[in-house]
Amino acid sequence: MAPLKFGIEFVPKEPYWKLAAYAIQAENVGFDNLWVTDHFGNRNVYVTLAAAAIYTNKITFGTGVTNPWMVNPVITAQAIATLNELAPGRVVLGMGAGDKTTLEAVGIEMGKPLAAVKEAIEMFRKLTAGEKVAFQGEVFKAAGAKFNFKPANKIPVYVGAQGPKMLEMAGKIGDGVLINASHPSDIEFAVKAANEGAKQAGKQPSDLDITAYTSFSVNEDPKKAVKAATPVVAFIVAGSPAPVLEKHKIDVSKADELRAALKVGDFPKALAAVTPEMLEAFSISGTPDMCIEKIATLQKIGISQFVVGSPIGTNVKNAIDLIGSKIIPHFK
Amino acid sequence: MDYPKLVESVPAEKLGPLSDQLLNYILTTKNEGKMPTTLANSMLSKMQHGEIKSAAGVAILLEAAVALEPEKTMAALGEMQLAQLANALKGGM
Repeated sequence: MAPLKFGIEFVPKEPYWKLAAYAIQAENVGFDNLWVTDHFGNRNVYVTLAAAAIYTNKITFGTGVTNPWMVNPVITAQAIATLNELAPGRVVLGMGAGDKTTLEAVGIEMGKPLAAVKEAIEMFRKLTAGEKVAFQGEVFKAAGAKFNFKPANKIPVYVGAQGPKMLEMAGKIGDGVLINASHPSDIEFAVKAANEGAKQAGKQPSDLDITAYTSFSVNEDPKKAVKAATPVVAFIVAGSPAPVLEKHKIDVSKADELRAALKVGDFPKALAAVTPEMLEAFSISGTPDMCIEKIATLQKIGISQFVVGSPIGTNVKNAIDLIGSKIIPHFK
Repeated sequence: MDYPKLVESVPAEKLGPLSDQLLNYILTTKNEGKMPTTLANSMLSKMQHGEIKSAAGVAILLEAAVALEPEKTMAALGEMQLAQLANALKGGM
């Protein structure tokens, strides 16, 4: 079994210097990848990644994930290609379908997500290869777009995916797939679908970096780890449709109660509605040993990269140190 | 205030623990707006080059921590028995 790669997710809710400091720390303790989320309410993902590029030396980084709608894919390709000049060979593109609620907030109608992601990636690959883009897609049209510069290396593309069709497409066209899930049954389903897509495209399993992008929380005190994970899980549950909840044997009425509390801003009530089943389904939280056991299960299922996503821990700096000293060495 | 000069009074064996503590205050502060950009960039540069636990690195962290979390910083210096440094800072505030 190949050594498992470790990635870390940062949400640019805080100033660039905090995230850059965490990025340096993550690089120093052995993380391989850094993923920065893209949401218009936070700091800009590319500016944040630029700061990370300047202050790190070897970690690979990228959008985790951007979408084809918010800006034209040509500009996404331009931003990623420019980042690649700051940190040659250390940049990847993470592209997913986007979040309906977020897009609606800025008046963007999300239509044909599969076609949009596929076409955006096609445009990205052509532009970053120095080629002219001229095509009439289902979603995007281009009449001869071309960069005046060309990245020195091929930039890998990761596809953020959850549903079966997107997972299969990710396996077909992606260099990697970002699976937004934490539970082994969800990861197993996703790995199979992505591998099926890769097989259809004639790829070897090693050609695809299958990445579990989890909600993660570690602390030597398991109660503290769970407490940190609870708000994140509350929002995941609130955004999950009934079939997803039922699959994990989660009481749908509890989830409704949680949603209602969040809607009126009653956070204490919402957090109190989070059950152990919800935490188990939508996060990996606990002591380093507990986390190692869960990560090892996912590795056996077939992931090649494990991403520690929000909240990471009660104190991010301490959690990064803990992951670097007790978890990563177990898999290297 | 001459922070590099002030840090000269810190015994070498206390530079590492002091660096860790100050960095923790800086990264968990809610007063991010008080962080001067030049100081932030100097801190990141020291971290990148593995010099954040050196006297020069601690001087930068101390200046940032005093700007962001003065009370916590003074308390930490007291707990670490760095009274001379704490008094010098008080005198300069």
